[in-house]
Amino acid sequence: MSIATGALRNIQDVARDPRSWWQRSKGNIELWANLIVIGWALAFMLWRGGGFAITVGSVFAIWAILAVSLNLVVGYTGLLSVGHIGFFGIGAYAMAVLSSNASYEQLRTEAIPTFGWPFFAALPFSVILAGLVALVVGVAFNRFRDDIYVLVSFGFAVIAFTTFLSWRNLTRGAFGIHEIARPAIGSWVFEEELEFLALLLVFLGLVVLIAWLIVTSSFGRVLTAIREDEQAIAVFGYHTTHYKLAIWVISAMMAGLAGALLASWSTFIDPNSFVLLESVLLVSIVILGGLASIWGSLLGALAFVMLEEGMRFVPFLPSEFIGQIRQVILGILLVLLMLFRPQGLVGRFKL
Amino acid sequence: MGILSIRRLVGIALLAVMAVVTVGCGEEEKGPFRIGVMESVTGAGETYGTVAVQAKQLAVDEINAAGGINGRMLELIVEDSKCNAQDAITAYNKLTDVDEVKIILGTSCSGAMLGAAPLAEKEGVVMFSGLATNPDIAEAGDYIFRTSLSDATVGVDTGNVLWADGIRNLATINESTDYAEGVRRTTTAQFEKLGGQIVAAESYPSDTTDFRTQLTKILSANPDALHIAAQAEASGGTIIKQVRELGYDGPIYADVVPIGTTALEIAGEAATGVKAITPDLDPANAKAQEVLAAFRAEYDYVTLPWFLGSAYDNVYITAECLKKTGDDQDADGFRDCLYDITWSGTIGVDYSFDEKGEVVGLSNAVLEVLPVAERTEENGGYRVLGAAPTN
Repeated sequence: MSIATGALRNIQDVARDPRSWWQRSKGNIELWANLIVIGWALAFMLWRGGGFAITVGSVFAIWAILAVSLNLVVGYTGLLSVGHIGFFGIGAYAMAVLSSNASYEQLRTEAIPTFGWPFFAALPFSVILAGLVALVVGVAFNRFRDDIYVLVSFGFAVIAFTTFLSWRNLTRGAFGIHEIARPAIGSWVFEEELEFLALLLVFLGLVVLIAWLIVTSSFGRVLTAIREDEQAIAVFGYHTTHYKLAIWVISAMMAGLAGALLASWSTFIDPNSFVLLESVLLVSIVILGGLASIWGSLLGALAFVMLEEGMRFVPFLPSEFIGQIRQVILGILLVLLMLFRPQGLVGRFKL
Repeated sequence: MGILSIRRLVGIALLAVMAVVTVGCGEEEKGPFRIGVMESVTGAGETYGTVAVQAKQLAVDEINAAGGINGRMLELIVEDSKCNAQDAITAYNKLTDVDEVKIILGTSCSGAMLGAAPLAEKEGVVMFSGLATNPDIAEAGDYIFRTSLSDATVGVDTGNVLWADGIRNLATINESTDYAEGVRRTTTAQFEKLGGQIVAAESYPSDTTDFRTQLTKILSANPDALHIAAQAEASGGTIIKQVRELGYDGPIYADVVPIGTTALEIAGEAATGVKAITPDLDPANAKAQEVLAAFRAEYDYVTLPWFLGSAYDNVYITAECLKKTGDDQDADGFRDCLYDITWSGTIGVDYSFDEKGEVVGLSNAVLEVLPVAERTEENGGYRVLGAAPTN
């Protein structure tokens, strides 16, 4: 809403008086960051076109849902959690176990029960399960603050990963689960990648809308106040623990949604997708994009996915260590960005 | 009217000439055959992926130096599939959409293979792996092939070796990864089928460095032998070292990883006499020794020789099939060629593929670790006792 009207006002300004607009916008790093990242993404897609752009778009949508959900907790409420990958995994595994159609009888590996639920039946269950786990975990987490919060959320990510790996009767451990169902409405199955991307973007839109409603409401203002000074807002009679728990559960449900979508998108998951490193990457996306900015999280996810996938097109690298060099370049770019723009691309404050 | 039709005629003639010229040019100077490669060159499977890419590049360089395939060069496009399904899917889509390859060699991690395999199967793209060993891959589809032996065969052979060696009460310890867990599970199943008994079983997550608690627990069950299934060499070597330090002097059996170069460095003298059941290069196979020497000359090291040879053979099999089909876009022809082919190369003689795309005609060998004094870079620190017994 505000983005659209803002863009419209900008266009009117440019049309009316280009020179003064240029004077005003020259130093506006936010604007240029937006334009560069989006322009880059569009150029990339036009250049490469087709199926690969759809894949990259799908990966972006999943990371964007995750980043927006985490920004609610880290950016707006000021609780630095590195455990979000756990809820991502819970959503993914709930979807996988409930909707997988695989029969493992002919295999010599372990079998798990198959339920064969359709996607849209398993989806709310996955989201609610992530929410319930977050509720239980959150009650304990609310006792901690700041640095300790980082550590306990770290612990949660490790426990979640180990559970995925070791609860073999349910998750098949390291073998992973395949033939996870694709969404279907009646006889229309989302088999094509483009259809799935559309579905992902619808869910992303929904998540952004909910997040926007939260942060612009009085509830959102209390969250921001908790981030700035929790004791001060408590003096005014707000039960800060309730607010923190509420946003934690909402955020975890969004992460669970992202996980369920991932499982259905890739049709195969194993614990390797939910390692702690992914959680750290997620936090860097949120910081890269900008804390306390929904738009920033979208931009951060876009920039991150484009960086990672764009690296595939760096020319003139010998094939033996092409992968390692990509990782190094990605790391250097992240360091440079944090050095010159510590509040992220469009962020309002830094940690 | 007359003028218009003459113009039209000239136009059509021009178009026809252009078309002929274009097609003619295409016939005349064809570019190289383009083959995709997906390996985990970063992340958990880095050692395997790197060796595989280097071995494949070595084979390609040899083929090109010898004049290519029917005069056309062979070109590899390498993508990092890391060790997980999602990265494999993006790597796969990059290769098939952007580079438009129809034949992909890889992957080194089973999880990555299983992530990309449904897409390859749906879109009719051949995936041909030299390293992925998860038994599930057998069922992955018509376009999915591998020269690596399924973990199921390693496990069955290990169970047979244990039984033949007179082991009746076995303790197992394994890393919680698809590969190690697959070995543990199939070994246990075969061993129990023969009448053996598992008296203790422990598993540990990757990156564990201290196994003393778990090993003490295992040893208290008084096993005849200990079986180790590891995926990381560091953990395999550390287990051997620590179990000997705890005073255990019974036989130790393992998969290939705990007798790798790094593992043996960690374990030192403690590893002497450890037996491993794994596919291994036949010392009598001259081709294998030739490939290892060439690899060492090019990259100054050799590790995981069997996987190296497997990846190397994949390229030559690919070249042979491309020679037959003459088209790197013809995935169906390539697939049919793989079903028909019988190959003799680095990893074995006269091997072929069954109807599931699984390799047949290769067998596991029993290896025994030598004392430290006798370990050299050439022998890898072990000697081949012979083929695993069959039951």
